[in-house]
Amino acid sequence: MLLKRHIPLFIVVGVGLLTLFGHFINQKDIQNFVDNDSTQWFDIIASFAIFLGALNMLKLQMLKITRKQKNWQYSLLAVIGFAFAVFAGFFFRGANFITLSQISPESVTPIAELITSEFDLENSTIIEKKLSAENAEYEVPKIFITESGAEEFMEKLEPYNVEMVIDAKPWGAHMQTEGSLFSWMFFNIFNPLSSSMFALLAFFVASASYRAFRIRNFEATLLLVAGIILMLGRVPIGELIPWWVVAILIVFGIGALTAPLIKDRRILVASIVGGILLFLGVGVSLGWNEAPPAALLIPVIQDWIFDYPTTAGSRALMIGIALGIVATSFRIIIGIERSFLGE
Amino acid sequence: MNKKLIYSTIFFLVIIVLYGFGEGSFFIEKSYFKFSMVMLVATTLYYYIDRAKAGGDIYLRPIAGLKAIEEAVGRATEMGKPVLFVPGISDMDQVETVSGLILLGHVAETTAKYEAGLNVPVSKSIVMEAGREACRESYLKVGRPDLYYDDMVHYLTDDQFAYAAGVNGIMLREKPAACFYLGKFYAESLILAETGNSIGAIQIAGTGSPAQIPFFVTACDYTLIGEEFFTASAYLSKKPELLGSIKGQDIVKGFVMAAMVLTVVLNGFFQMGWIEFNILTLFGN
Repeated sequence: MLLKRHIPLFIVVGVGLLTLFGHFINQKDIQNFVDNDSTQWFDIIASFAIFLGALNMLKLQMLKITRKQKNWQYSLLAVIGFAFAVFAGFFFRGANFITLSQISPESVTPIAELITSEFDLENSTIIEKKLSAENAEYEVPKIFITESGAEEFMEKLEPYNVEMVIDAKPWGAHMQTEGSLFSWMFFNIFNPLSSSMFALLAFFVASASYRAFRIRNFEATLLLVAGIILMLGRVPIGELIPWWVVAILIVFGIGALTAPLIKDRRILVASIVGGILLFLGVGVSLGWNEAPPAALLIPVIQDWIFDYPTTAGSRALMIGIALGIVATSFRIIIGIERSFLGE
Repeated sequence: MNKKLIYSTIFFLVIIVLYGFGEGSFFIEKSYFKFSMVMLVATTLYYYIDRAKAGGDIYLRPIAGLKAIEEAVGRATEMGKPVLFVPGISDMDQVETVSGLILLGHVAETTAKYEAGLNVPVSKSIVMEAGREACRESYLKVGRPDLYYDDMVHYLTDDQFAYAAGVNGIMLREKPAACFYLGKFYAESLILAETGNSIGAIQIAGTGSPAQIPFFVTACDYTLIGEEFFTASAYLSKKPELLGSIKGQDIVKGFVMAAMVLTVVLNGFFQMGWIEFNILTLFGN
């Protein structure tokens, strides 16, 4: 009980109070703890905890494979991917580079041309300048995953009688180095897969919008109308829609709202037609063809919807969420909320 | 006037006066207003917690999403399918994740009671450990520790879209009858909710990320909107001290509304030149 409840609770309450009041106490060490140390502690704990997660993932996938459970093939792929990432990260740098030195002046141009053509570079002049600098040690602008790949290129440079050394980027830096095995894996496997998942969002947005925009009630209709106006207002065609189209739509909207109150269809149709004619007549006589009022322009209506009703709604949500977070944090800090400790 | 209110007011005043005396020496400068607001919120919350503990009656409006938890787990049991719980992609430093885990405890209690399967894929190792603790306690509480196993809460990956792909895979392969998305979500929210929708699962979502709420509302059967998500612990436990904090939270919301109206009015007066005090200076403008 002491280890599982009281000590964790004591740490939560202590650190919570210190973090809250640390923002107001004029003491450098406390400020430093609040701003830097505490977050670094969290990062350190999280970094160690990743091993727990990785081992758990590996264990579950291995169990699936050994027991030949349904869809075990996917688990095999996951384990291979995991092993490859660990290999490229911890055991195989795959970030070799060649350094050239003692370059004779007559070799500068052919070496520069060779490097330019081999690695599809645009301009050999810059390479030439670097190669011809006094006591120059030039690093060939290419990372070789394997040493044999680097040696293969060195063979091409052998006729120029130049000093060549193969070296590798330091551990850790090899992951960030473009062209290394890890970066190859990241940019050629991980990134496209991740981007594909993100791209799927477009299709999900389309299907979700379809469901949201289906006219079922007043709110859904309002959402549909607001959505269409927003979409039209944000594309160039929105600016080309004349004021009279918006005027007609407004009359139709009013007609739709009042339709349930008017039982006689003929009166309803006559009212709508009359309304449209009246609206258009007033507009033409007031010269709206040349200078339409802003309220009848789709981009302006779109801006208004975005700036006022949408902002008001989202801010109301944000205030509610912020207060919820404050109240939950307060309950945790004073120790009355202990459910997250399993209580 | 009730004594507790008087004591709370005196406590609040004493603290802010002390801050005023110590400002610049023990306390940092130019944070007086911020500190006063923090103390006002804290004192209000504490006052209502204390009042609730003393037996004050507190009404909580019904929240459909929370009531539907039992219905969703019951449906999964009837269909013989598991329940999927997704606690978001953030770590334990986010209050939403903590709230999600509090709800996980309740969901686990219900699955233990109904003997339904529970699958909790997580994207952070610390969340995995906390989630396991919450589930273990819930299964123990219901008297079914035999149904609990550690791997019901399991780690997938830290990466956002890899995690979304992993959870989608679980959904499509296992076809859970109920999906819970309770925690902090980003762009993956709609990917998860739409996949859940496509497999016909009953879906309950709750998040503190305002941008993701519309997606959940569209794709899920029930959504805990805004502060509803954070009241879940109090709502489900019915503990008076937790219920008191909800009441306090609502009173603070009342203060915020009044402050907004007052700020608009006083700023209007200032703009018109009727008063010389610019209220926006209090907020650092």
